[in-house]
Amino acid sequence: MSSYLCGLDIGGTFTDCVLIDDSGALTIAKAPSTPSNFAEGVMEAVNRAATKIGLALPDLLEAIEVLAHGTTVGTNAVIQRRGAKVGLVTTKGHNDVIHIMRGSRGLSGQDIKLIVHIPESSKPDPIIPKRMIRGVSERVDCFGKVVVKLNEDEARAAIVELRDAGCEALAICLLWSFLDPTHEKRIKELAQELAPELYVTCSSELAPKWGEYERTTAVALNGYIGPTTVGYITKLDEQLTDMGYEPPLQITQCAGGTISVNKATAAPLLTLDSGPVSGVTGSLYLGGLMGFPNVITSDLGGTSFDVGVIHEGRPVVSYRSIVHQYEYFLPKVDVQTLGTGGGSKVWIDKTTRTLRVGPESAGADPGPVCYGRGGTIPTITDADLVLGYLDPKNFAGGTMQLNRDAAVQALQALADELGMGLFELASGVAQIAEFQMADLMRKVTVQKGLDPREFVVFAFGGAGPVHMGVAARELGVQKVIVPQGDTAAVWCAFGAASADILHVNEQVNIMSSPFDLEKVNTLLEQLESRGRKQLMDDQVDPERHQFALSLDMRHRGQINEVEVDLDSGVLSNSDIDRLRARFVERYERLYGRGAALPDARLEIVTYRCRATALSRKPKLVKTTELINEVDPGAQSDNREIYWAESGRKSATRIFDGYKLKPGNSLDGPCVVETATTSMVIHPRQSVNVDAFGNFVIDPNHN
Amino acid sequence: MPRISEMTDVDFNGVEQPYVPPKTLNISDNVKLHTNWDREIDPVTYEVIRHNLWQINEEHGATIQRISGSPVAMYALDLNPSILTEDAEFVYFGPYMQYMSGVTDTQVKWTLEFRSENPGISEGDMFIANDPWVGAAHQQDVMLLCPVFWEGELFCWVTNCLHQYDIGGITPGSFCPAAESAYDEGILLPPLKIIENFQVRKDIEAVYLRSSRKPDLVALDFRAQMAGNTTARERILDLIKRYGSGIVKGVMKRVIDNSEKAYLEKMARIPDGYWQDRTYVEACRPGDRRTHRVMLGLRKEGNKLLFTNNDSAPQDGAMNATYSGWRGSIMVAVNELLCWDQYFAPGGALRHIEFDPTPGTFNCAHFPASVSTAPIQSMEISLYPAYNVLSKMIYPDTEMRKDIMCIGGTSQWPATLFRGIDQWGERYGYLLIDPIGGAIGAFTMADGINTGGQSRTPICQLPNIEHTEQNFPILFLYRKELPDSGGAGQYRGGLSAESCFIPHNTDVITQDTLSSGNATPTSSGMMGGYPSTTNAYTFIRNSDIFDNIAASKMPEDTSELRGDPITLQLREENFQQSASDVYAVRWTGGGGFGDPMNRSPADIAQDLENYSITVETARKVYGAVLSDDTTVDVEATTKLRAEIRTARVQRDGRKSKVRNGTVLFEVGSCLNAMSDGGGQYWACSNCSTELGTTAENYKGFCIREDNPVSASNPLIGEPDRFIDDAVTFRQFFCPGCGHLIDNEIAVDTDPVLADISILDGLNPNV
Repeated sequence: MSSYLCGLDIGGTFTDCVLIDDSGALTIAKAPSTPSNFAEGVMEAVNRAATKIGLALPDLLEAIEVLAHGTTVGTNAVIQRRGAKVGLVTTKGHNDVIHIMRGSRGLSGQDIKLIVHIPESSKPDPIIPKRMIRGVSERVDCFGKVVVKLNEDEARAAIVELRDAGCEALAICLLWSFLDPTHEKRIKELAQELAPELYVTCSSELAPKWGEYERTTAVALNGYIGPTTVGYITKLDEQLTDMGYEPPLQITQCAGGTISVNKATAAPLLTLDSGPVSGVTGSLYLGGLMGFPNVITSDLGGTSFDVGVIHEGRPVVSYRSIVHQYEYFLPKVDVQTLGTGGGSKVWIDKTTRTLRVGPESAGADPGPVCYGRGGTIPTITDADLVLGYLDPKNFAGGTMQLNRDAAVQALQALADELGMGLFELASGVAQIAEFQMADLMRKVTVQKGLDPREFVVFAFGGAGPVHMGVAARELGVQKVIVPQGDTAAVWCAFGAASADILHVNEQVNIMSSPFDLEKVNTLLEQLESRGRKQLMDDQVDPERHQFALSLDMRHRGQINEVEVDLDSGVLSNSDIDRLRARFVERYERLYGRGAALPDARLEIVTYRCRATALSRKPKLVKTTELINEVDPGAQSDNREIYWAESGRKSATRIFDGYKLKPGNSLDGPCVVETATTSMVIHPRQSVNVDAFGNFVIDPNHN
Repeated sequence: MPRISEMTDVDFNGVEQPYVPPKTLNISDNVKLHTNWDREIDPVTYEVIRHNLWQINEEHGATIQRISGSPVAMYALDLNPSILTEDAEFVYFGPYMQYMSGVTDTQVKWTLEFRSENPGISEGDMFIANDPWVGAAHQQDVMLLCPVFWEGELFCWVTNCLHQYDIGGITPGSFCPAAESAYDEGILLPPLKIIENFQVRKDIEAVYLRSSRKPDLVALDFRAQMAGNTTARERILDLIKRYGSGIVKGVMKRVIDNSEKAYLEKMARIPDGYWQDRTYVEACRPGDRRTHRVMLGLRKEGNKLLFTNNDSAPQDGAMNATYSGWRGSIMVAVNELLCWDQYFAPGGALRHIEFDPTPGTFNCAHFPASVSTAPIQSMEISLYPAYNVLSKMIYPDTEMRKDIMCIGGTSQWPATLFRGIDQWGERYGYLLIDPIGGAIGAFTMADGINTGGQSRTPICQLPNIEHTEQNFPILFLYRKELPDSGGAGQYRGGLSAESCFIPHNTDVITQDTLSSGNATPTSSGMMGGYPSTTNAYTFIRNSDIFDNIAASKMPEDTSELRGDPITLQLREENFQQSASDVYAVRWTGGGGFGDPMNRSPADIAQDLENYSITVETARKVYGAVLSDDTTVDVEATTKLRAEIRTARVQRDGRKSKVRNGTVLFEVGSCLNAMSDGGGQYWACSNCSTELGTTAENYKGFCIREDNPVSASNPLIGEPDRFIDDAVTFRQFFCPGCGHLIDNEIAVDTDPVLADISILDGLNPNV
């Protein structure tokens, strides 16, 4: 019997399951999500997959080699503000760190309007109120030296008081604990003794990074989502074990791979907001297969536009994240979000009589006017419908009827107000939205020193392929790929199944050049052995272990850091010049030519080891049979569509995406429809079907 | 002393007197301006290009931050990029350091007037500039101006401004609290062509760098500024290539026209009038114990706004700013209160705003006054009162009322300038950035934001303590928000904080102080709201901190320590902090809005729960009756408040009269302008008791109670530690119902301020 890789993804409506057998063949199943107990839906989806391949559930579970799973339990707890009651123990005198929030209103990355109009902004509701915070006497300094011994009496009193005040999770974060974790560890021991029922997180274990605000936020959030996430994962794991699945359950994490159940229960923060990351992981695999090392991944849904970047075969990562205005340390595949989606509202600035799109969204409910659920303000989706990009009778695979008349009426009112034609206005809306998308994609590349023209775009999400052709043309990218076949529908589950086991271990120890190599090598060795142990705990064969080491470095006295890869974990004197050269090259790539100070002293800030176990990959099969000729039956319809290029409506060919064959090629204007999306191919653009069955749009075809 | 408009025979050319741009610029024919643009642009093209211009300006700022990488650019965000039209009207201005807007257009205009003939302005040139009499805020704010040419015509300008670590002068860092004149301060550069035909002039760059103690960092920042301008210039040229110069310029002009239109619509909704604010600067040089009056007047007539500083103190010591610094300060409040909906396109409003200060006053100083400290003193004290006068101006409109903000935290910057040898054996000198944590003042329908930053830099970040301790030889004992630091009010001002440290891994730290607002509060409240705490330095020599350390019992406040408390003066020079000397600095919080006795019991309970106020303040200032430390007895509170008010009215004993006319407009939280057959008059909005005709100052008809300034906020100490003038907290209550209408803090010899005057006969609501 074959063994299987299994990927699971819980969505708002459906739970997806992907199975990959020894030959690389895929099996896909869906079951309704069960929010009251997500584990039920998960088991049902796996059960349905088992049925599809003719196995009983226990037999399948026994045959699964790795079961990887993305969870949104933590994310939901944060969104719904239903996390645990957290207590914080910190260094006395520094109780207010997460209230001061570094003196900002936590507005990084938010809409400019909130920043400009101060009365509209505020700090978020505190994750931990002041009365649930206790300072204890202790102190470590910047050399990692203990200046004040831990006052254990104060620590005991703090724990007992917090416990008695109803705390469910205890977060511990002391100043400079990443250099000497002894006091944090001792407080944890005391907590286990005095309040064994509490869920405890230490900053030196979760995020041994430099900066007490982002470290405190990390432990606070970890505590906040801890009990719920642990409850969920443990339950699922038990059910799977009962059914006969033995290897450690793998959970997808923000850094782009998976972690075992044990680690996920200790550090649920690693799963917070991990959903969009699986899409990037899937793209990484597919991009590799198709020979595209540089990919911008884009996912345009109803309410948001998520963008990630893969450069030279590696996802662009960040080590700082933000949720509900709180910034925290977390290694994460960098996915930037814009509040532009199909539901973005179209409006007129009354004073200046100018046309605006977003950032406010009609969301899914009431949603666009054409949904007929009571929405009265037109949205991008309404414009798409009016232009003819969408088929009112065949939206979302025919599951929903759209009311075109209502959309026309709503947009006509705006057009009249501006003295424009209806179609002129609707195509203007599309264009403004497309330019906003191009801007975000430009930002995530150019601001990282990357040239978008060297990239292809992967377009996911129902609304993405409608607009990505124009956005890509604006950006100057060469190709837009709309992944197809069954994988696209269950992309995140596929991402989970194709993810590697990954442990990112970090340690901060700030050191100026000339470097103490012995110390550097010791720190690297410690990180590597920690990773090795984690992989062994995951039952990964040592032959499959891989270790990638890197250093975050900067000019002494400056703020910008860059991550510099190391060839090995042992540095010798002869490596130093190479390290400096590599730093300068990376620095100038990111920050511009001439930005590096060639003679300045360098500083190492963070040491990092990525311990990976490469998992078996699905083998997607390329067809060798490419057909030029388009089956006449593939054209399903002719529809009147307004094209901005010609400034008028014309009868346009509509194709059934499922009837197009690898090798088929179509010139625009035309529209290709599938159950989940419409690809809008503008005049002077083209689309073809590649050997994997993906659609490839050429945005600049003549 | 005459105002600028009255000095017709003086040349305001940026040499002895500040540069004040004339209505029509005198530009040499050698420079051809691009003046043809399309008037008809479809809304979609407009929105696409508008969005692009905003993005270009944002990328410009991000480029500077990335390349510079300095703490100044990354944390304090002491920079700003702009796009201006060919004739130096603002198209867009960035969301970073706000006062830099008012100091940008003047420098471009000066360059057009004085550099277009010789050495000329051509494609590929950039000009460096930092002369405060031409238009910089102070010498450290170095601007780089880049003309953008299209087909031989000057199409527009892209510019940026970035604060430099050190450009010379008698004090490291170039803030010179003891300077007697500009000759003691950093290098002065009137706009100077440093880049010619796309090439850096090495000779000029060398002159620029020569005066700095940190030439490498200044050189890197110069490259960052250059790259920022280049990026913006190239992207604008790309736009022109794609859409045509007429369309792109047409969009720029329309951005300004639209912002003008938005401004005009707002002006039409509010009455004409005259508003004033008064505050004080303390200590203009070491040893000075005087207060220096700061006056701001705002007159609105129709669409026109006129700002004046009549009766402000004369220039003196090292506390001054120039015309452009004062104008830039006021622009911050104009941008945030009137133009926020136009996202930093102040050009339209500026067409209708006049600035007419009195030369020779400390915030419109003539050459060669010392101005290096301007942004943290003279400009802050010019800036925040502008929030008050503008807020009072827009209060009558119920929509615009939502935009009002009381004065926020760090309204004067309590500087900690420290230097010595660090734990790495290297020489250092630094200005502690902590006060940037500020606080946001109260709004008209919500509390201010605790440690919400300084509103003049809407995006900024305080360094982590671990960041500061890594770089400097200090150990923080605490950094904490302070209960009661926000001004009391119906809506409370945001709390500020205090930082406290001892030297660590060094023998001694040498320090200077530089502050004001330590004796008299500068974050005044509004319309009955109380002021926040003052700034405060605490210094305990030979403290017992090492006993605490040895016993593992750390203090959470300086009051827990024993030792010799020393009162640091506000311009103390070269004092030494040794190992056991504890130093703490507290900054001002946000002012409160409205009568504290109108604050809801639920909000008071929440404040107690969150340690925002103390039990004592809840009782004394808010008139709350508590059943325990966090529970307010609602009924008893209502009763107590009524008793306090009644007793006040009875004590006063005057005869007041209720006069029932029609409300012309609401001008304050407890004050209306009304009219009836007998004319226009002021009245209490709570009980309609008449408070004089609108030709008179309503305060003259109120019950006045004078209290020591310490009664306005429990964290304020005795003013006579720093100043010789007596200062009083004056309160004005309705003689009919005893409600609080307004407060003011004044030097005893100053008259009662007429803060609100409505110009007779004008009424927009009729």
